[in-house]
Amino acid sequence: MTRLNACGMNDMSENIGFFFNPDSIAVIGASQAYGKLSNVLLRSLKKRFKGSIYPVNPKYNSINGLKCYTGVKAIEGGVDIAVLIVPSNAVIQALKDAADAGIKGAIVISAGFKETGKSGSLMEDEIKGIVNGHGIRVIGPNCMGIYDSFSGVDTFFIPEERLERPEKGGLSIVSQSGSFAVSIMDTLAMEGIGLARIVNYGNRVDVGESDLLEFLADDDNTKVVALYIEAVQDGKRFVDAAKRCSEKKPVIAIKVGRHEAGANAAKSHTGAIAGRYEIYRAAFKKAGIIEVSGYDELLDACKVFSMQRPANLSPVSSTGQALQDLSRDGKKVFILTDGGGVGVSLTDLCIEMGLDVIALPEDAKNNLSQKLPSFCSIANPIDLTGSVTDNDYKIALEEGLKYSDIAIVAALWGPPGLTDKLVYNIKEVSKRLNKPVIICSPGGRFTQEKKKLFEENGLPVFATPEDAVRAAGLLANKL
Amino acid sequence: MSLEFLIEFLIGGITVHSFSRQIMAKQEAKKIIGDAISSGRKSLLEPDALELLKAFGIPVSEYIIVHDAAEAKDAADKIGYPVVLKVVSRDILHKTEAGGVMAGLKNAQEVEDSFNEMIFELSDHYATAKIEGFLIERMVDKGVEVIVGGVRDAQFGPAVMFGIGGVIVELLKDVSFRLAPVTKEECLEMVKEIKAYPLLTGYRGSGIVNLDAISDVIIKIGSIMEELEEIKEMEINPLIAYPDGVIAVDARIML
Repeated sequence: MTRLNACGMNDMSENIGFFFNPDSIAVIGASQAYGKLSNVLLRSLKKRFKGSIYPVNPKYNSINGLKCYTGVKAIEGGVDIAVLIVPSNAVIQALKDAADAGIKGAIVISAGFKETGKSGSLMEDEIKGIVNGHGIRVIGPNCMGIYDSFSGVDTFFIPEERLERPEKGGLSIVSQSGSFAVSIMDTLAMEGIGLARIVNYGNRVDVGESDLLEFLADDDNTKVVALYIEAVQDGKRFVDAAKRCSEKKPVIAIKVGRHEAGANAAKSHTGAIAGRYEIYRAAFKKAGIIEVSGYDELLDACKVFSMQRPANLSPVSSTGQALQDLSRDGKKVFILTDGGGVGVSLTDLCIEMGLDVIALPEDAKNNLSQKLPSFCSIANPIDLTGSVTDNDYKIALEEGLKYSDIAIVAALWGPPGLTDKLVYNIKEVSKRLNKPVIICSPGGRFTQEKKKLFEENGLPVFATPEDAVRAAGLLANKL
Repeated sequence: MSLEFLIEFLIGGITVHSFSRQIMAKQEAKKIIGDAISSGRKSLLEPDALELLKAFGIPVSEYIIVHDAAEAKDAADKIGYPVVLKVVSRDILHKTEAGGVMAGLKNAQEVEDSFNEMIFELSDHYATAKIEGFLIERMVDKGVEVIVGGVRDAQFGPAVMFGIGGVIVELLKDVSFRLAPVTKEECLEMVKEIKAYPLLTGYRGSGIVNLDAISDVIIKIGSIMEELEEIKEMEINPLIAYPDGVIAVDARIML
């Protein structure tokens, strides 16, 4: 049964999970020509997707070793989802046929719709008609679709040598822009940041950001959500969906199209100031969304939230859902370094960010001066100096984290006393005390290698003090 | 009658009373708005806007509508000096810039002189403006001028705004927004979010103001925007904030 909401749109968002974990996929318009997008798509699917793949094209008997079908109807046992990659004027008929054959949903990759003008818009209306008439769901048209590292669904029709696919991870991305989705996916892969699911929904005839947020809120593979937004479809539904999601996991957003030519005939000061962007910001606040202002910051946020958790969560359990701890504002920061300069710089930046560089209690200082060598400077920051050992870091971090919500650890790899054990020591303390730790590690080739080791152990590394403090600010929700 | 019953009766009575007050406020506002629409206006005249705010329990400064110099002097005598003289015109929305506000009038003579001067100036610069009348308003004590506004967004619905008031608000844009309805916690966040927040907490001799009273007005603007869909934009500018409360001195309501 199809329920209709006030806009006449399908309201079956609870059902879109099948897109991410189908048993079978039909690729309508699959080609055997190596360079064609539809062939790239088919090969990507074949490489990753564990379910059945059915190319559909009346021209061929088989493509890339897969049996090719004349239509979706001809596929015995039916198909869960259809991926349409045919010319726009063939989309309507192909979608109708697939819907008649009993698909649950379709991803329409094809372009040539609303973005081209009136006749394209009319075709989108026809797609909506099929959505409502058959009770199916549609992603697209004019989209990249889905990349899912868990199920192997991959409709991003760009070959791997040009667009690297990230490993499995807890981050999911919802992007209105296809090119943004592609760029960030490739960057994440290079940075070694894992991805659960990324979706670009293009012209959004049916499935949009709110459906996806509702799905991701309940998706156990997704630990953090990042949104790239130009304009949302239904403001109130978006706020509700995002709020429900942000109550379970961090939701980060970047809003583009912040500045518009003022078509505002406002007469009051309030009306003159209230641009669309101000209202979006208000909506983000209502929804508990953490807003970032640019690409760099979004990447930092993706990284830090993938590896660490917000600084004001209760440190009780590492398995169950951590609740917000109202006694902690998440702002108390402890800084640990083996180089004075970086420590001072981190301190400046933390204060500018509005973080609280706490003073360590006298007890803690006495305790530390007994355990650490006499040349260490014991305050906040603690400077362990060039004579530092892996164990000094452990002792100092353990004491400092007791009194703070978050630690920024500068790791400069010059001192001969530091080995890979430093990484495991920091990880152990962070895990045991269940509080977030951010690594600031500026440097060249050697440092880069160690960065990899840190990040494989779940500790996010930032090369500059600016990026490290920004990441801390994100965890403390100070941005 | 048992004590328990009496208490329940009293509590019930109070609830019904505040509920019915809300309904009456809405009915009164609907009438004011209906009158404005049927006479072809796109905004409420200032006294109507102030009346609407008052109906929803927002404190406004005392005023009397007048039409000539003699009425103006009588009204000023009644309200007590000093007073402010303001033009009421559907065609003049930003009165200060148009020379339609004269403040600090200390006696009847000053009221009369100012009235004549304003008529002269307006007829010179706003010859075609329809003048509905004038307001004689109590000159309120100095406090911190803030702005509280509301807008209606096509997608997200009503939103509220807070900032430091006056004419430079558009220049500095030191304001905060939230979607309505807002809770008291959200209002306090809005107030603390602006850069000029120290001006509300006694910075360099500025008064410490009552944040609860400001929050109450923000909440009420949010509920007015929710209750009355005819309103597109509204603002109180300035709302004067004091240690013990607030008072709305000027308001715009756009339909």
